[in-house]
Amino acid sequence: MKNALALSCAVLLSVTVYSTPALAYLDPGTGSIILQLLLGGLAGALVILKLYWFRLKALFSRKPADDRRSKDPESS
Amino acid sequence: MVGGIESGSFRDPSGQIINKDGRIYRTVTASAVDDFKWVKDTGLLDTLVADGALVPFEEADSSLVEELAAEPALLLEHPRLPFISYPYEWPFNALKAAALHHLDIHLRALDHNVTMSDASAYNIQFRGSEPIFIDHLSFVPLRDGGLWHGHRQFCEQFLNPLLLRSYLDVPHNAWYRGNLEGIPIDQLRRVLPFQRKFSLNVLMHVTLQARFQRNFSDSCSAEKIKAVNNVNLPVSTLRRMLRKLSAWIEKLQPPGGKTEWSDYADGNSYNDEGTTAKRDFIKNFVTDTKPLTLWDLGCNTGDYSVAALDAGAEYVVGFDVDQGALEKGFVRAQHDKLNLLLLHFDASNPSPEQGWSQAERRGMSERGPADGLLALALVHHLAISCNVPLARIASWLANLAYGGVVEFVPKSDPMVKRLLRLRQDIFLDYNEEYFLQALSNVAEIQQIAAVPNSGRKLIRYRSKPNLPGDH
Repeated sequence: MKNALALSCAVLLSVTVYSTPALAYLDPGTGSIILQLLLGGLAGALVILKLYWFRLKALFSRKPADDRRSKDPESS
Repeated sequence: MVGGIESGSFRDPSGQIINKDGRIYRTVTASAVDDFKWVKDTGLLDTLVADGALVPFEEADSSLVEELAAEPALLLEHPRLPFISYPYEWPFNALKAAALHHLDIHLRALDHNVTMSDASAYNIQFRGSEPIFIDHLSFVPLRDGGLWHGHRQFCEQFLNPLLLRSYLDVPHNAWYRGNLEGIPIDQLRRVLPFQRKFSLNVLMHVTLQARFQRNFSDSCSAEKIKAVNNVNLPVSTLRRMLRKLSAWIEKLQPPGGKTEWSDYADGNSYNDEGTTAKRDFIKNFVTDTKPLTLWDLGCNTGDYSVAALDAGAEYVVGFDVDQGALEKGFVRAQHDKLNLLLLHFDASNPSPEQGWSQAERRGMSERGPADGLLALALVHHLAISCNVPLARIASWLANLAYGGVVEFVPKSDPMVKRLLRLRQDIFLDYNEEYFLQALSNVAEIQQIAAVPNSGRKLIRYRSKPNLPGDH
């Protein structure tokens, strides 16, 4: 049942933490990889919780402007 | 057909398909040869070939293709498949059979400590209604804890199109043809009905996957990269994932209900005498011309395709626009183990050449010419529903195959009356005489027979030399 618990945590978080990404430069496999992280067991689910925690924290700490360009000088 | 590297195989760094003098070769590059040999030594490939699940292969002399490929580490030769088709042409149950086949092969591979590097639907082809896997370089050694890298691709290319039809009654073909990688996960999530989202399968493979994609794909944070690099998917979990997907897909069905022309073969406007006459006419054509491949345009459930097979045609590809008829025909081909492949096709807009450089997936006519062609009860649809002039129809038919049988249905026929019922008759030159004239410009008319108790005519023709494929 640990997966069920992990699933419900993830669902809860997925509806509370919401954002719309920029359309360019998407890594298309991320959704599947994170899902497999979740299916892999409790440890994976905890990592997802941590990832969401980082997102939540970033919401309050990051500068409002999208700074990906400055992080990635090769993007154009 | 021009020899050279097959345009559909250029993406794979492990090797490419070469078509030379009508024979099919596969190069294996130096970077992939160790993995291939390792996989081969497990015995998996031989077992799959023996079961008809994988296209046979044997090693060939690499000097055979030296002018076409830069020193492959290994060269394999495969038997040529009778017809290459694409998932956007398959009816629902063909795509379903292909999906189950892919999962089955993956599960069997895991038993040999082998996994699959991708899950492309284009790696599956059909012999009749039997799916067969064609990419020997998709098999790679299994690393315990390794991810299923083809999961997203499997969802987009197999699962989502099946869900679209099964849950929304929207056939996948047009959408898939527009987006050759399949139905994107987030787009499917947006259109799925709310009540479908309560299933655990939908939650995982559609909703959560889309949500995780949306939440994390734009992030390059060190935490994400670290997490992703540490993903550990035990083989037992991967197996369970594959089995559950397989059980789910096994249950998917299109919603019931007849489509417009499904009852045509049973409730058509002429009697059994007419049907028998058509069958006999086709059988004579096949007996005389012995076509290896025959295309049946507007095949419905494949009645006349079966007549052609009975008369000795080696392989028939049936094309129709009616999903219900195709699905019935596919079940029939499965049940009777027929050399009959049924594909979705709109005669007024057949598959184009498309993909990278407009050459990756071939158009319908580029896969011809066929040895023989049947076009029964088709011309009036093109002429009257689609406003295609008879001369253009005749020329198109003559280009697709070396010869064939075409049926002309006059305006007095109930089926044509039905097409004209709600529209103005602007088809002043739609008549038999004009059609025969148009056909005789591009083909030699060899025989004309009346379909008993109807005004219909069957016309056997041979395309004029050099015409097929010469656009």
